[in-house]
Amino acid sequence: MTKRLLAAALVAGFLAACVASLLQFALTSPLILAAEKYETAALEAPSRAFANPLIVLAHAGHGHGGEAEWQPAPGLPRLAFTALATLVSGVGYALLLGAVLVATGREVTSSEALRFGIGGFLAASLAPAIGLPPELPGMAAAALESRQLWWLATALATAIGLYLVAIRRGAVAVALGLALIVAPHAWGAPHGPEEISAMPPVYAAQFSARSLAVAFAFWAVLGLAFGWAWEAVAGREGAAARPGAAV
Amino acid sequence: MVAITRSLSPALAGERLNAILLAAALGIGLLFVSGFAPVVALHNAAHDWRHAHNFPCH
Repeated sequence: MTKRLLAAALVAGFLAACVASLLQFALTSPLILAAEKYETAALEAPSRAFANPLIVLAHAGHGHGGEAEWQPAPGLPRLAFTALATLVSGVGYALLLGAVLVATGREVTSSEALRFGIGGFLAASLAPAIGLPPELPGMAAAALESRQLWWLATALATAIGLYLVAIRRGAVAVALGLALIVAPHAWGAPHGPEEISAMPPVYAAQFSARSLAVAFAFWAVLGLAFGWAWEAVAGREGAAARPGAAV
Repeated sequence: MVAITRSLSPALAGERLNAILLAAALGIGLLFVSGFAPVVALHNAAHDWRHAHNFPCH
């Protein structure tokens, strides 16, 4: 069971990372690079200090004034590190997806895993994006820790809420699940200042839509591939255990 | 037959639990490294992934 879960997660994470990396290079990375030009220009202008110490300009203090911190060289190395981060996260999300699937005790098939993958998209991508829209470099935002905390709480509450609504299905469970899904948004996400940026707003709008589209493709492939790999690993294990038997 | 079923079920349950716990711990560890770790080098390496997948960044 453990080997099967780990093997299926590796395969699913790899396939999802391949698809997501290509989509990121084509759709989101060019917008990030374009936004960084405006961000660099803004950081070099002196009149951008905020009065509120809890509010920081995204990227402020990175490699400016002090020693430059390590970062991947522009071009191919940067794309390679982005792909590596996508792979690490893909395997991580696939492991969580598999753990949840096995924990619910449902039979793991491609269609079942796809449903759970869509649940993962709703919990980890769409729900946090309602309060904290996908952000380009240079956009002003609230302090990092408060946003990370809200992101985690929202993803967790949405995941538990979806489980209660879609799998438990009792009247009390559905009510509790809906309350959990709504609660983080009623509480409210931490917000930065509404400031005017030199960056064309179409960049931010495009980035939000593309980011969610890439995330959906990532989760869909992750779910489908996990179910497929789970069944494929079982087929091989069965064949190895019964060498004489017809497969 | 009954005895076999009884002796197998708890073993499977234990193995299932181990698999779930191991996968969950590994998954959370990998996601922490790629999505949340505050180390500057890790942040810079995973920068474009974090932005594209809406992890709070910076």
